[in-house]
Amino acid sequence: MAVHAPFKVGMKEIYLPDFKLAFIRTIHLPANYASFIVPLWFSKLDLRDYLYHGYNLRIGPVIRSYVQQSRIRQGQVPSPTRPQYKRWHRPRSTKRMTVELERPFAWPERPDDLTAWNKEETKMANEEQGPLGKRLGPEGDQQGISNDRRTSMREQAKALLEGREKWKPGVSRGLGTSG
Amino acid sequence: MHCTSASLLRSALISSASRATTLPPLFLLPAFTISQTTPFSTTPAAHARRDGNRARGVSALRHTGIGKKQTLSVKLENLPQPVLDPKRRSKVEVDEDHGLWDFLPPSQAAIRTPEELHAHGRGWTVAELRKKDWDDLHRLWWVCIKERNRLATQAYEHDRIAGVDGMYGEHEAQGRDEEVRKTMKSVKHCLTERWYTWENARVAGMEDVEVDLTADLDRGEKAFLPREDGQVPVELGSEDDRRTDSGLPPPVNATAPNDARV
Repeated sequence: MAVHAPFKVGMKEIYLPDFKLAFIRTIHLPANYASFIVPLWFSKLDLRDYLYHGYNLRIGPVIRSYVQQSRIRQGQVPSPTRPQYKRWHRPRSTKRMTVELERPFAWPERPDDLTAWNKEETKMANEEQGPLGKRLGPEGDQQGISNDRRTSMREQAKALLEGREKWKPGVSRGLGTSG
Repeated sequence: MHCTSASLLRSALISSASRATTLPPLFLLPAFTISQTTPFSTTPAAHARRDGNRARGVSALRHTGIGKKQTLSVKLENLPQPVLDPKRRSKVEVDEDHGLWDFLPPSQAAIRTPEELHAHGRGWTVAELRKKDWDDLHRLWWVCIKERNRLATQAYEHDRIAGVDGMYGEHEAQGRDEEVRKTMKSVKHCLTERWYTWENARVAGMEDVEVDLTADLDRGEKAFLPREDGQVPVELGSEDDRRTDSGLPPPVNATAPNDARV
């Protein structure tokens, strides 16, 4: 750690900061640039001071900062199970800062094999549960019914009418054979 | 020659006598007959004085290119070309002690697996932290801050890799973040307790006859000046240790909780 910072340090000493910074991978920038997502109230001077005192990182003279406004959306955060309409709001904007590094830093490669994170299983689960969710959703009656389900329903109706089976309550709408 | 319409007409007729053409109107005849060979003005044109500015007419903003007199060290055909294919670029050498490694997992991978994320214990309790001094608590706070930054970096990279379908690891990362936040909360709890203890002691000391708050300990002055008749028993530890640390024996001369603090 250097004896004194290469810039003029502020007077306010913060011993217990309570915010987080995210270091972003930027493939479009050269290796001597780094990008962070910072709190919305953060300033360039704050970032320079934080990186120097917290991470012993010296950066170039120019820091680029921009605020990314989010799009208007419905519903609340965290998103509940049911879709929530009419609760229009604009979530909080994100502030990103790009700094120039004295020594280059290249991100390690992304893992090729994602079995440790069960990527295949989640994909399969989404594919299976997608049609079910649509059938239970607001546009459920617009979904088509497969021929297998049609024949199955016809046979069940026939059985009930002919007295071969007795009607029992308790089966939920939408579940059962897919279609 | 003295031009009259009659003479012009005659010359025009003679030149085109062989062909049967319609005659042009009289006022247009000078256009066909008189051919000027001299310029309008006979005064010689004034040439511009030689300008010493070699960069005259050269502009970067107007894309004129380099001037005729300007020579560059590199010829256009010898200019270095950028390597557009990322696979053909040389690998960047990253120092081992680079500060940004602290934002990534200790294994120097891009993200941690769910197993790695789940491998954590519980956060520090307040009773455990009461024994620690300010320097240790401060260091622990910063360890927690850096871990939270690491988790925030992981969360963003995770979303990028997972895409629309998603993948496992979010739940484990959230559990880890929760324990870190519990530790941070305990640290602040302990420090707040300590401050209130100090503040109560300061207020009590201001009103106590036996305590001298203005004493300079470095010069040997005594802050505690007991009376001759008896010693005041000193109680170490916090009264909340009774609630949180079940292993401690019950304290002697404990103040009743109903006593009002002065």
